[in-house]
Amino acid sequence: MLYETKRSLFRPLGIILKWSILLFFLLFTFVPLGWLVLSSFKTNFEFETNPFALPAVWQFGNYVKAIQISGLPRLFFNSIVVSSFSTVLNLLVTAMAAFVLSRLRFPFQNAILTTLTAGVLIPIIALMVPYFSIIRALGLYDTLWGLIVTYASINIPISVFLLHGFMRTLPRELEEAAVMDGCTLFQRFYRIVLPLSQLGIVTAGTFVFLYSWNEFLYAMLLTSSVASRTIQLGIRFFTSQFFIDYTAMYAAIVITILPSVVVYILFHDKIVRGLTSGAVKG
Amino acid sequence: MGKAALHRVPWRGIILFLLPVCILYFLFFVYPLGFVFIIGCTQWNGVTAPQFIGLKNYIDLLQDPTFLLSVRNNFIWALSLGFGQIPLAALVAMILARKPRGWKFLRTMYFLPNVISQVAISMMWIAIYNAEYGALNKLLELMGYAQLARNWLGQIETALPAIILQQVLYIGYFMIIILAGAMAIPSSFYEAAEIDGASVVQQELYITLPLLRGILVTSMTLAMAYGLRHFEATFLMTAGGPANSTSVMGIQLFNNMSFLRYGRANAIGSALIVLGVLVIVVLRNTLGRSESISEVQQ
Repeated sequence: MLYETKRSLFRPLGIILKWSILLFFLLFTFVPLGWLVLSSFKTNFEFETNPFALPAVWQFGNYVKAIQISGLPRLFFNSIVVSSFSTVLNLLVTAMAAFVLSRLRFPFQNAILTTLTAGVLIPIIALMVPYFSIIRALGLYDTLWGLIVTYASINIPISVFLLHGFMRTLPRELEEAAVMDGCTLFQRFYRIVLPLSQLGIVTAGTFVFLYSWNEFLYAMLLTSSVASRTIQLGIRFFTSQFFIDYTAMYAAIVITILPSVVVYILFHDKIVRGLTSGAVKG
Repeated sequence: MGKAALHRVPWRGIILFLLPVCILYFLFFVYPLGFVFIIGCTQWNGVTAPQFIGLKNYIDLLQDPTFLLSVRNNFIWALSLGFGQIPLAALVAMILARKPRGWKFLRTMYFLPNVISQVAISMMWIAIYNAEYGALNKLLELMGYAQLARNWLGQIETALPAIILQQVLYIGYFMIIILAGAMAIPSSFYEAAEIDGASVVQQELYITLPLLRGILVTSMTLAMAYGLRHFEATFLMTAGGPANSTSVMGIQLFNNMSFLRYGRANAIGSALIVLGVLVIVVLRNTLGRSESISEVQQ
């Protein structure tokens, strides 16, 4: 009896506490971003004198200025090229490897799989000097290809892990029938396993694309000219390009955020699935 | 006959299929790893031939107060993420696992900042922490605490906490991993506890937490590994300043590389790798085994 009253007394308190926690993290996620977006529509005077009010007139011109001053179209083009090509290259080599590692049986199979996925243990930032040397030695310094190969390779462990995990679950019967019909190894990969692995490929591809789109350190280390500058590196130069035109700079930053948000909205269930595929077993 | 064909080892095909990945893996993982440890024992400016100097780089690093400060900061990062971010992420995950209204929406929203580039997030926080026009100072003024306003990233006392706090509170990544584990717990466990009169808090403490142990250990290990390899936000927001107070090993590596001290830079790189693996191995062995460390990246 006493226990029951205690519980009913605490219940509303618990509900308030629960929703305060959820609300706090929601606000923390969105208020700063919202403030940035709001600021990008203001005049600099409004931004400095009245940072939390709505703009008197929505300054869409900031976005026009942003595109003109920052050279955004070129940065965007470079980033799209780098992200798409590195995603394709990564998926191509890792899907081939994941196919034989998951669908065939041969000696050292597990050793190879473990080695490839153990790459995640290495902090990539520790490899600044060797990556710089390798890219220079390959003659890829200051080219988009240098970034493409680097990003495709950095993501080998995660893609092999995701694709191997996915391909392992495919039913064997289809392939057995194909082998009896005289399918070659390549045909088994290209005609049967690859089409069935679409979901896994999209998941891994989303990770590689977002990684490549957002990568900053090696975009900075491995390029020098404007011609091969990606969008993340470009943002670093906004401070000097825009000087004290803060609100136009924020407009430029908002534009750079949009593609990631769009990719996330389109593929968020794949991202969640990819993140949790390794965790549930944990 | 078909079965036999399926089980015969087609070596040529296997090698062809594995070759591309092996070439790239060798170039970007195996060779660099050897490179870091070998060049770490030399004096090299990237132009003339490297000179073998044994462990001198490491001895120098141990006597360099800036490097030691950076290692300390890395451990502060690791502890803040492991013991700050993970409990918060677990708390939110345990709330969302009970499927309150809008839990799917909240799960999606909490993760959103993780897909936005660290560069954009850092520029945003630079603007928020700015001394003159920053949102934080303006907010403090509005609330009547103008005396608290300061140059958050420019002062030694506040710079490190300011960078760490904004990262710790982005819980989305680990929240999603822990949530997946929490939701895999059969609901019959809770129903039984409910009948026995266990309160929600008791259910979470005595059912959810013990069953999540594996995932929590994995998440904590990962978070601490991330703390040790932290680089980007600090590089972008303070570049290690003021007076090296926010410096981390990655920043020291970068600075040494910029000054063409490649030997020393690689000595720092090997320290980073060894410490990272050590933390993972030690935590896994002391806190209990867990299967997957698949989410380690970057």
